[in-house]
Amino acid sequence: MKISTRGRYGLRLLVDIAEHANEGPIALTVVAKRQDLSEKYLQQVALLLTRGGFLTSVKGSGGGYMLGLSSEEIMIYDVLDLLEGNIAFEEPPGSEENAIERVIRLHFYQKLDQEVKKVFEGLSLCEVTKAQWFTYVI
Amino acid sequence: MVYLATCRENCSIRSISEATGISSGYLEQLMIPLRRAGLVQAERGVQGGYRLAKADITCKEVLAASEGDFEPAPCKNCTRTDACKTHQIWSLLQSAVVDFSSQVTIQELASHLVESEAGGGI
Repeated sequence: MKISTRGRYGLRLLVDIAEHANEGPIALTVVAKRQDLSEKYLQQVALLLTRGGFLTSVKGSGGGYMLGLSSEEIMIYDVLDLLEGNIAFEEPPGSEENAIERVIRLHFYQKLDQEVKKVFEGLSLCEVTKAQWFTYVI
Repeated sequence: MVYLATCRENCSIRSISEATGISSGYLEQLMIPLRRAGLVQAERGVQGGYRLAKADITCKEVLAASEGDFEPAPCKNCTRTDACKTHQIWSLLQSAVVDFSSQVTIQELASHLVESEAGGGI
């Protein structure tokens, strides 16, 4: 499993907006410059995140994007699930799944997904922006 | 690898292919990095074939040999790593995957296979 550009840029966009939340709506041009990302690509990702309720857009001059929920309410797992479609290692069984494939799917990939979910459960955007959260986890 | 763990003797590519449904040609390719990593041994001759090179091989060893180290995001050569907060998320994901796959052994997976076989699962 690799996290796609959409997932990586989308999270960077959310982190950037969360960190500058006190500045009001933030134009994507500003985020693109700050994060050194393509503005065109950010527009596509922002649209997805807005549809998912993680961002809201403010039109007009001085407009831009703001978080759609508080950063405590935005869960990293949910954001990745939206941007990536599905962040599971387990793939649905094919019609001719054999016994070995089944064992590996059920006893390795399915459990691995549970493990990943456990690690991300309760991890909010707020904790990520606080920066030091990871030191005690690893 | 799970199939090899269920075998007491050397296994021919043909028998591995029959059990796993992986083509012989592709199996030959898969064996190269696994041999190089010291996870399988090959023996020539009539009784030849492949077998696991050691006990307690973990899924992490197999995946690292076949696919390289697990990296959810291409952060390796990024200059922003220190300042990037999302990098921490990828590190967390990476350690979750590496830790879990280091705990699960091929032998353990093979034992589930034997169980399902005993229950008529195959």
